[in-house]
Amino acid sequence: MSERKWTDEQKKQYYEMLGEIQQVDFVLVELNLYLNTHPHDHKAINQYNEFAQKSMALKNKFQSMFGPLTNFGNSFSTYPWSWDDAPWPWQV
Amino acid sequence: MYTVRKKYRPYISPFDPCKPMVVKTYETPPQLYLGFQPYNLPQFQPHEALRLGTLWPALYAPYTNPYEDCDRGDD
Repeated sequence: MSERKWTDEQKKQYYEMLGEIQQVDFVLVELNLYLNTHPHDHKAINQYNEFAQKSMALKNKFQSMFGPLTNFGNSFSTYPWSWDDAPWPWQV
Repeated sequence: MYTVRKKYRPYISPFDPCKPMVVKTYETPPQLYLGFQPYNLPQFQPHEALRLGTLWPALYAPYTNPYEDCDRGDD
């Protein structure tokens, strides 16, 4: 476990990117619930897939810069093990 | 005047030690009036959607505090 040393620029970028991930993922939650009752809305499915792709791209970029977002094999780790590095979700 | 904030008059006990609220109100959410959600409704931008809690303006309902400027006399 270690504290990450970030510059102000990196900190700003951290929150900007995390915010964008939250926005995109919220759209996905909404579309997911909508599509449960509207399985034939082709346009919405396209939008869902588009946002899913966007979300993955954003998360890959975020994780390459700031470490893993998830554990148990869903994200890669750097050496040394970076899953337990602060800040933790409730510290953000 | 039509409003989605509905009113009711609660029972008021003759022994109520406080000044009673004669009329109480509650907010009704938009999904009650929408029926089955139509296809291709206009959407918010993602950053607005996250802030407002819904992707569709048709389903957005702000919660306004009905007691904000009312003096209940309990201070």
